[in-house]
Amino acid sequence: MTKRRNILKGVAAAGALGTFGVGYTETVQKLARGKWSGKKPRDEHVVGNSIPAEYSVDPVTGDVTPNPDQAISYTMCNGCTTMCGVRVRVDKANNKVLRVSGNPYSAMSTDPFIPYESSVAESFAAMAQAGTGQGLTNRSTACGRGNAVLQQVDNPRRVLKPLKRVGPRGSGKWETISFEQLIEEVTEGGDLFGEGRVAGLREIRDLDTLAVEGAPEFGPRANRLVWMNCVDDGRDNFVLRWLKQSFGSNNFTRHGSYCGGAYRSGSGAMFGDVKAMPHAKPDFSNAEFVIFAGTAPGNAGNPFKRVGNLVAKARVDGDLKYVVIDPVLNHAQNGPSGERSRWIPIKPGTDGALAMAMMQWMFANDRINHAYLAQPSMAAAEAVGETSWTNATHLVIVEEGHPRYGKLLRGSDMGLAIEGDAYSETDPFMIASDTGPVPAGNSAAPLFHEGRTETQNGPVAVKTSLTLLREEADRLSMDDYAAACGIPVATIEELAREFTSHGRKAAVNSHGGMMNGSGFGNAYALMMLNTLIGNLNWKGGTMIAGGWFPDNKGPAYDLASFPGAVKAKGLPYGRNAPYEKTTEFKTKKAAGKPYPADGPWYPNAPGLATEWISSLVNHYPYGAEALIFRNTNPVYGIPGIAHVVDRLKDPEVVPLIISIDPFINESTAISDYIVPDSVMYETWGFSKPWGGVATKATTARWPVIEPKMEKNAEGERIGMETFLIAVAKRIGLPGFGDKAIPDAEGNLHPLNRAEDWFIRGAVNVAMIGKPVADATDEDIALSNVTRILDDLKATLKPDEWRKAATVYAKGGRYENITRSYQGDKATYAFSEPMMVWNEGLGSFRRATTGTRLPGTPYWREAEFADGSKVSEHFTPKDWPLKVMSFKSPLQNSYSVGSPALLRIVASNPVIVGTALAREHGIATGDMIRLTTPGGTLESVAVVRNGIAPDTVAIEHGFGHKGFGAQDITIDGHTTPGDTRLAAGVLLNDLGIIDPTRSRPGVWVDPVSGTAVRQGLPARIERIA
Amino acid sequence: MDTTRRGFLGAIGQVTIGAAASVAGAGQSASAAEGEHVPHWGMVVDLRKCIGCQACTVACIMENAVPEDAFRTHVSVYELVKDGKDPAMVMLPRLCNHCDDPPCLPVCPVEATFKAENGEVLVDASKCVGCAYCVQACPYDARFINHETQVADKCTFCFHRTQAGLLPACVETCVGGARNFGDLNDPESEVSKMLRDNEVSVLRPEMHTNPNVYYIGLDDVLDGRVAGEAAYHPEMAASVQHHGEGL
Repeated sequence: MTKRRNILKGVAAAGALGTFGVGYTETVQKLARGKWSGKKPRDEHVVGNSIPAEYSVDPVTGDVTPNPDQAISYTMCNGCTTMCGVRVRVDKANNKVLRVSGNPYSAMSTDPFIPYESSVAESFAAMAQAGTGQGLTNRSTACGRGNAVLQQVDNPRRVLKPLKRVGPRGSGKWETISFEQLIEEVTEGGDLFGEGRVAGLREIRDLDTLAVEGAPEFGPRANRLVWMNCVDDGRDNFVLRWLKQSFGSNNFTRHGSYCGGAYRSGSGAMFGDVKAMPHAKPDFSNAEFVIFAGTAPGNAGNPFKRVGNLVAKARVDGDLKYVVIDPVLNHAQNGPSGERSRWIPIKPGTDGALAMAMMQWMFANDRINHAYLAQPSMAAAEAVGETSWTNATHLVIVEEGHPRYGKLLRGSDMGLAIEGDAYSETDPFMIASDTGPVPAGNSAAPLFHEGRTETQNGPVAVKTSLTLLREEADRLSMDDYAAACGIPVATIEELAREFTSHGRKAAVNSHGGMMNGSGFGNAYALMMLNTLIGNLNWKGGTMIAGGWFPDNKGPAYDLASFPGAVKAKGLPYGRNAPYEKTTEFKTKKAAGKPYPADGPWYPNAPGLATEWISSLVNHYPYGAEALIFRNTNPVYGIPGIAHVVDRLKDPEVVPLIISIDPFINESTAISDYIVPDSVMYETWGFSKPWGGVATKATTARWPVIEPKMEKNAEGERIGMETFLIAVAKRIGLPGFGDKAIPDAEGNLHPLNRAEDWFIRGAVNVAMIGKPVADATDEDIALSNVTRILDDLKATLKPDEWRKAATVYAKGGRYENITRSYQGDKATYAFSEPMMVWNEGLGSFRRATTGTRLPGTPYWREAEFADGSKVSEHFTPKDWPLKVMSFKSPLQNSYSVGSPALLRIVASNPVIVGTALAREHGIATGDMIRLTTPGGTLESVAVVRNGIAPDTVAIEHGFGHKGFGAQDITIDGHTTPGDTRLAAGVLLNDLGIIDPTRSRPGVWVDPVSGTAVRQGLPARIERIA
Repeated sequence: MDTTRRGFLGAIGQVTIGAAASVAGAGQSASAAEGEHVPHWGMVVDLRKCIGCQACTVACIMENAVPEDAFRTHVSVYELVKDGKDPAMVMLPRLCNHCDDPPCLPVCPVEATFKAENGEVLVDASKCVGCAYCVQACPYDARFINHETQVADKCTFCFHRTQAGLLPACVETCVGGARNFGDLNDPESEVSKMLRDNEVSVLRPEMHTNPNVYYIGLDDVLDGRVAGEAAYHPEMAASVQHHGEGL
């Protein structure tokens, strides 16, 4: 008798008390004494060391009474890249953050989030017992990590003063220096370390000399300052102003190429923009069937909480059924939900085989959305009630040897009279007709066609995009695809049938699981499934983010441009540009052998931090003179980087490395200087959701506590902004100082401190469209915007400061949830066409091989840069396993300094499947050795059923050498390394160098240039 | 033996539930002024919505300054394998069940443990001598001796927050919406509705503790608290010792 069924009804507790009386009469008396004898203890005796409540709310009236000792402020979490709106509870007297939970105005933390018009007091009441559903309806949350990372503020290993290395790079020894000495040294250079002269930033900032003599395509010497960022934490606009518009360097990159870049690139190929890489999310709440492949809602992802919450609700209260296709069973699957969630194991790195097989079945069984795919233009789509369109019907030139091979056939190719330039927007795309190719018009076009057509340059073979996709899907048999991905044909067919049985209320979603050697093609293929059923912009289908209220360019101030701004130029440092634009290509072509290039180029990719490492250590395309790491950690994050990191430590290779970071992580550790920076709730910024939110949303971050960094001689807290402003002023860069920020009337305002920038940004956020209401005195007091009120009043105009105060009091600006849909369609629809054939992809040649790839999604086994198969170098016989990493629900690459997280999960064992464990005699708790061609690690095994055959998995976020895992010596005082911070292992230590590259570089996907951490060839042995 | 006892108590429990309502009702009216509604707090944990993010665990640590070696609440993570079925993930949030029949209460030699007016099982630190009998008696391993205060410690349903009209820390930060808290004496409360509309279970029903923490979607295999393969997370680093079998 284990179930207590519905007989409990609403009197469950009362009934329970009764059963007590049956067996334990004496106890009842004791209870009665405790309860009724008047001996009730004082509250402080029953709650232990609990923190006093931050405010009280009358359960009936909803009246809020603040606790004067504490502040509740709405700001932003930086615990991961989601950057949720949160509420931070501060002990005012001690300037200490006590606890963090969600902001009920924010879609990232609350569903449904409360109307923006609600006062701050109303927002407090909404989350209390007085709120709707006894406070449960609008509960606003922080995740496990979001609850814990406040500990980073008080992390004893925080860098609070500028540091300069003592001894060689990476020695772990530092001295503190003054801010003024820091600025002097990095700006003016000199013999800074007794190792010879180092050029300072003033000298490097040379806009007249070329970065590479004889190769003007790389722009000026100023490009030899290169900047590696992590994620846009809401401060990147400030960085980009300084770096590109003031300093004049074009070289800026973020961490995407070793995060989830392959997914973004594959999605970008379909959305027709491989630089901005748009991507859609399922409408989790209204979808009926979702395939999650390489992403794990509720386990990780972005926006982590929102997706976890919506999927949890949809599988219980809604209509959602979903499958999680992943080599490892994770938190995305939920046993108690029964058939609503299902896990299907797949071989790492083979999702493209699954997706192409599903497509083959969909074409063979005519389960594609003809009415949607047949519309060759937005006008045609709108005429039949569609809300987006594709180039499925557009004709592609497939004539071998044709100069426009792989490009879409255009009117000018046919000799049609066109307005504007050939191949410009006004040059029409061509579709098939009974009379030959005709311009795409306002009505449906044939989906499938292949033939030859007369053009100005003679007859050429053409096919529709969809014809090419079908051919590619049919390239292998279902059995071949099934063998490649390890999913039986019957299961693939079942998935395809289910996926095509819900109209547009089905979706495919992916992400970090695509970081494998075939990742770009895999991601493009998975995303194309969405296009084949036409679910974009539809309720229950897929939707792009609703956008935001931007801070940098708005009705009040222009933060995006200024008098005297430099236009940075030059091919990017990560070689994410056409090789054919280089002097190297032209020289080699003139010599008769344009391919292969000296290294890979990635014209279909965005900025590539992963490739930057290769550029830095090989000086290809050129060497950097100075490198800035800003809150980033490629040395921890890039698989295989260990093979080249010693070169980075050599000042001959990169003469100056500056880190701007609150902590000494693995990358900061090899720098020459560390500029201390603000943490979490001490810092300014604005961010937008990157997906999964249908309405406009801007999250605002502001210092809700007094920052801990040391002050400079001018009395300003040292941080990134202070540093950049000081350098700019010393060199005399434009865009900083007393006349730097234009307002709407063209008056120039100062940029001398961070507040000058961000507070004006807040006014832009507030004023876009219909301006927000003024903050009331009560809003300001309850949210403790009082802390920054003097700055708001001093910086802004009299009619502005209460608008900015509203943005800070409510933690940003959020469009109301009622704006999510217009009928059955997304309010904010993506209007550009979906690329069934991406001509950029279909027409480029790989620089290292001179060969082409399809312009459609495809499945290809992983290849190295020279086009040889990885499995030929590292054969399955020698390397029978695949090793992969997966994200932790708790730990990420920079959260290890929060002790609360280590209390819950202290380390990351290596996960081994039951069959593999049996084969090797491995039991849970055994020590094993895991070896790849790139490295070896030893760790503890945990044997599980929930992992694909011949696969070994490692949770990400452990195995640190930085953050205090090793000794840190500052001014002769050593803080010993903490073994808890060093716990576990890091998959990236097993990463592989591409053996076919003449200049060292890690193994990356050939199109997206993204790191490979899923599906490394490996072998395992038990050692104890 | 165990089976017999379990069956016996189970049967008793079923039989007495109906009659018990009136007993409890009488007790309430004695404790409250005429016409005043006295909430009886309870939690309904919908396991179908738990994503195992441990937000509750950390929020509780922060809110209640829970010492390093203990938890007041925690989410156990299981990989459940049943014959012929795919392995499945089960996250099981655990905390003090605030039993109406609390085994921790009669064993307390100094009457420090008591049932509060709204049903919470609390410890009066001014009386507790830290003997840990209650720690041993709790079938849910929900208690520990707090080495900082030297007294028995446990979940209070965030007594200090509910008294202020707020929700317990673990509930207000529950990302999936699995933890639901409210007044079981109010038939219109969200938790009462959930109990009405769903099949619910309790942990360790054979102990007949009449807990105020209910579960939706609890597999029989797990209602004995830790049956099946244990959570796959490793032990803490050697320098930090877990408190016994504590949560």
